[in-house]
This record gives sequence, structure tokens and C-alpha cells, in this order.
Amino acid sequence: MKVSLYPGPALYLVVGIFGGLAAVGPLLLLGFGSVVTTLLIYMALAYSLNLITGLTGYVHFGHVIFMGIGAYALGVTASAFRLDPLPGVLLGASLGFAFAVGIGLVTLRFRGAYFAIASLVLVLGTQNAILAIPQLGEGRGIFLNFGSFQPLSHYYTIWAIVFIEAFLTYWIKRGRIGYGIRALKGDEDAARALGVDAARLKLVLFSLSGLFAGAAGAVYAWTTSNLVPPVNFAIRFSLLMLAMIIIGGLGTDLGPLIGAAIVYLLSYVFATTPLLIGFDLIVIGVLVTVMALFLPQGIVGMVRERVPSLRKVLE
Amino acid sequence: MVDAALVVSNLAYGVLLGCVFAVIAHGLNLIWGVTKVVNVAHGEFIMLGAYGAYFFNVWFGASPLVIAPVDAAIGLAVGFAFYFGFLHRELKGKETIGLQSEMVTLVATFGLGLAISNAAVRVFKGDPRAVRWDPGAIDIGFMTLPLGGLYVAILSILIIAASHVFLTRTYLGNAIRAYSQDISAAQLIGVNPTYVAAIATAIGFSITMAGGALLTVWVPTGIDPYLGHLYAPISFVIVVLGGPGRMWGSLVGGLTMGIVIDVVQAVSSVSVAYATAFFLLIPVLLIKREGMQ
Repeated sequence: MKVSLYPGPALYLVVGIFGGLAAVGPLLLLGFGSVVTTLLIYMALAYSLNLITGLTGYVHFGHVIFMGIGAYALGVTASAFRLDPLPGVLLGASLGFAFAVGIGLVTLRFRGAYFAIASLVLVLGTQNAILAIPQLGEGRGIFLNFGSFQPLSHYYTIWAIVFIEAFLTYWIKRGRIGYGIRALKGDEDAARALGVDAARLKLVLFSLSGLFAGAAGAVYAWTTSNLVPPVNFAIRFSLLMLAMIIIGGLGTDLGPLIGAAIVYLLSYVFATTPLLIGFDLIVIGVLVTVMALFLPQGIVGMVRERVPSLRKVLE
Repeated sequence: MVDAALVVSNLAYGVLLGCVFAVIAHGLNLIWGVTKVVNVAHGEFIMLGAYGAYFFNVWFGASPLVIAPVDAAIGLAVGFAFYFGFLHRELKGKETIGLQSEMVTLVATFGLGLAISNAAVRVFKGDPRAVRWDPGAIDIGFMTLPLGGLYVAILSILIIAASHVFLTRTYLGNAIRAYSQDISAAQLIGVNPTYVAAIATAIGFSITMAGGALLTVWVPTGIDPYLGHLYAPISFVIVVLGGPGRMWGSLVGGLTMGIVIDVVQAVSSVSVAYATAFFLLIPVLLIKREGMQ
């Protein structure tokens, strides 16, 4: 079987952007510090959610669970077994994958609003369960000590994760599986009638999104050196991830990148401007509402509509 | 040996708590059942209702029982605004709500909730505010029940009963039920879909906000802008337990949640109680096969 990369202008754009990010990484770190790494973590989270919510239309409020599992995986291996952070990231990814398979096998059987509600309620259940388990810090968290601060390792680890995600999004959408996914997003019953194995496709996407969210969560714990359940499992992250892909453009190749940049920069500017502190989520909430009602295809979709010549590049 | 009196008093507490859970979920139930739209920002409107109770309590010294009807009147206006701002675009002219529309409403109300709860933090500040109203307690032999909780439970049951009577005994109520069952058939017999859906949404919001006022009796430590983040998921579980659109379903779901939370809390801890109550949703969905393919 021949595996094609489906080359095209959109792929060159993705590769170009990430090649550039790799090349100027050290300079960006010098100029802006760890802000750049955090931005990439947000992008990784947005891409991971885009795999399920963007591609299939299943609104997932519980993505923060996978992120938190990844963060805990790294935290426990680093603090209890004194392992290197990188195996911790791999473990975080595998655990994110495993939990996504487990959760997905059950919740992906519910459709539409029921799936969204089940995912939202599972987060709260997990949050309360964690508070009841003393081994996980009982809500006080775990402090991690990696000896030295490694900004370059942080940067290239998360860069690699985002790059793989962006490429995978591009590749999945264009392959044979992509046709099935589009059919399933349009009308699941019709797709099943045509022989699309909807359950398997959804589970594949969901487990992949769990894998990447786990990896991103592990890197998040690594960069912040601190694990506090209310933060790691806070629904806030789920909300931000959703906001990013809605603003950027659901199911698009570059939407998560653009959306994450907008949401992160907005919250960064609002958090550092004294008069505006605390207004970031109000603005993001209003933005999400307006986008959902008037521009459901997000910024990428809007640009594609207004500038037809860019349609081949922005997909 | 388990103390029988303790078990009974825990059950009684669970029942009282369940009644207030039922009324805060009832508005969601009505809107979900009639328009098939799940309002993700439901918790934020409970929170606004609770703040309504707080401010009327501070300004006029009114009790939550008196404020509930005032909140309900405000809720009517908010509900109409919500319908025409959010739902009308997606619902008008459609006979069933497709998955695409459903996703738009989920996401739009999610953004709305995010904006409201964070705006509330700016306006009301994050510190908990207690609503001062304590009518005392009543002794029934071996156990003591809070009178406030008892009054609220009675009012909750009355509200649910009234909505049941409205939906089954009046023309407008029957029109709403007809709309919820089959929109095109309802139109054939002269029901105006927009009018009916808007009224149902407005009534749902008025019950939700009144429920927020009644809930303050059960939050003695004080309400805060994040109130909705706990009570919205509880409402979702309740509506699924009882079945969307079934008026008595709210009471069944609410009592189940209240009793589960109270009993588990008595034998272990608060966290375990809420974790149990939330995880309960999954087996219930699987058993009822609701929303499944």
C-alpha cells in the first residue's frame, strides 16, 4: 500500500510555518521568554481538541481531563521516580491515549448534546474524585523540581508535538478516512448507511486527541513545575481550548494555530494591562458567541469566503 | 449497627435538598424538552437569580420566598431576549433541529456563559455573599429540619405542579406540548411556532431564576459568581435522569440527586458524594439508551 502525503499549497504553508518556528526558536525565546513556549502549548491543546470537535462536530467539554492526566503522569514520574521529563511526556501521551480510548468507548455512543453534557459532567466528577484521593496531593498539588530550567528543551518538545498534530490534521482530512469523517460530520446516520464505520472513526480521532492533549499537559507541568488539581483539571482550560478552535475555525488546518494565538495574546495583553485585568474571559466569551452565531466557520472560514484566491492555501 | 434515626434524618435532608435541585433543573428541562436546545449557560442564570435574591435581601430585607416571584418576572424578560437573541435564528422554519444547529447553540450558549460568569466576577466581586434569612428549625420527634429548606421544598413542588397543570390543562400549554412533539403538525392546527417556543423559553428562564433565589437558602456560606459551575452540571444530570420534557421528571431526578449526595456525604465525604452523583450520569444514559444511536 502506498502512503501519500497529499502534497499541495496548504501543506507547504504548514511545513513552512513550522520550519520557520523551528529556525527562529532560540531567537523567540531570547526575545519573549517562556511566553512563546506557553503559546505553543495552547496551540497543541487546540489542535488536539480540533481532532475530535473540529473534525466530527462532537463538542467536547472534558478535554482538560486528558491534559490533567498528562500533567500528573509527568509530575509523578519526575517527583517519585526522578525520571527525565521526556519519558514523562511519552507516558503522559500514552495515558492520555489510554484514558481517551476508555472514556470514548462509552461517551462516543451518545450523540450531540448528550455527548457534550456527559463530557462536562465527567470533568466535575473527576475533579471531585481527585480531591478525595490523598495520594494526589488532596488539592494542594505537587511541586516539581527539575534542577535546572530548560527553555530550549521545552520549546522543541512542544514544537514537535504541535507540528505532528498540524501535519496529522492535514493528512487525516485528505486521506480515505477523511471522506468518512466528513460524511459523518454531515449526517451520521447517512454515513453509517453508506458503510462508514462511524464508531471506529470517532474512537480513532478521540484517542488521538487524548494522546496529544496528554503530551501537551505533560509539557505544561514540566514548564510550570507545579501541579495543582484545581488548575490542571480546571474547566477553564477546556473552555479556552474550545474558544480557540471556534475562533480559529473548526476542523481547519490552521484554525487552531490562529485561534490559539488570538486567545493567548488576548489573555496575555489583558493580564498585563492594569485597567483590563479580569476582562479577558468576558471578551473571549462574547467573541465565541458572536462567532458561533454569525461566523460558524471561524476566522479561517471567513478569510476563505472573502478572499477566494487563498482557498487553495488555507484549508 | 446503623442508627435508624440518623438514616431517616439524612433521607429527609436529601429529600429537601432534592426539591430545590428539582426546581433549579426544571427550567432547563422545559426549554430542552420543548425546543430541543440545551442551554449550556443555564448555571449562569441560576447564579443571576441567586444574586437577585441577595440584592433584594440587602435592599429591602426580603426573604428568598418573596423574591422568587420577582426573579421569575425578570426571568420572563431575560427568556424572551434569550430566545430572540440565540434560538430564533437556529429554530425558525425548521421542523427538527439538526446536529449542526445543535452544535451552534451549544457553542453560542457556552460563550454566553463564559462571558456572564466572568462579567459577574467583575461586577459582584468574587467574595461569597450570604443571604440573611433564617426562619429557624422545626423539631419532628427524633430529628430537626430547617424551616427555610422546608418552605423552599414546598414552593418547589408547587412550581413544578403548576407547570404541569399549565402544560396539560390550558390551551397555550397544550400548544407548547404539540410543538415539542411535532412542529409541522402543530403548525397545521394553527399553532404559531415562534410564539410558542418563545413563551416556553421565557417560562423556562423565569423558573430557572426563581430557582436561583430559592437555592440561596441552601448556600449558607454565601453565593459567588461561580455558583453555576456546580449547579449547571447537577441540573444536566437531573434532566437526563428524569427525561427532558417530562415535568415530573425534574422532581424524580432532583430527589435522586439530593438523596444520593446526602447519603454518600454522610458515609464518606463531600467530594466523594459529588463525584458519585456526577458519575451516575453515565450508567443512567447507558441504561435509558437516551441520545444514543
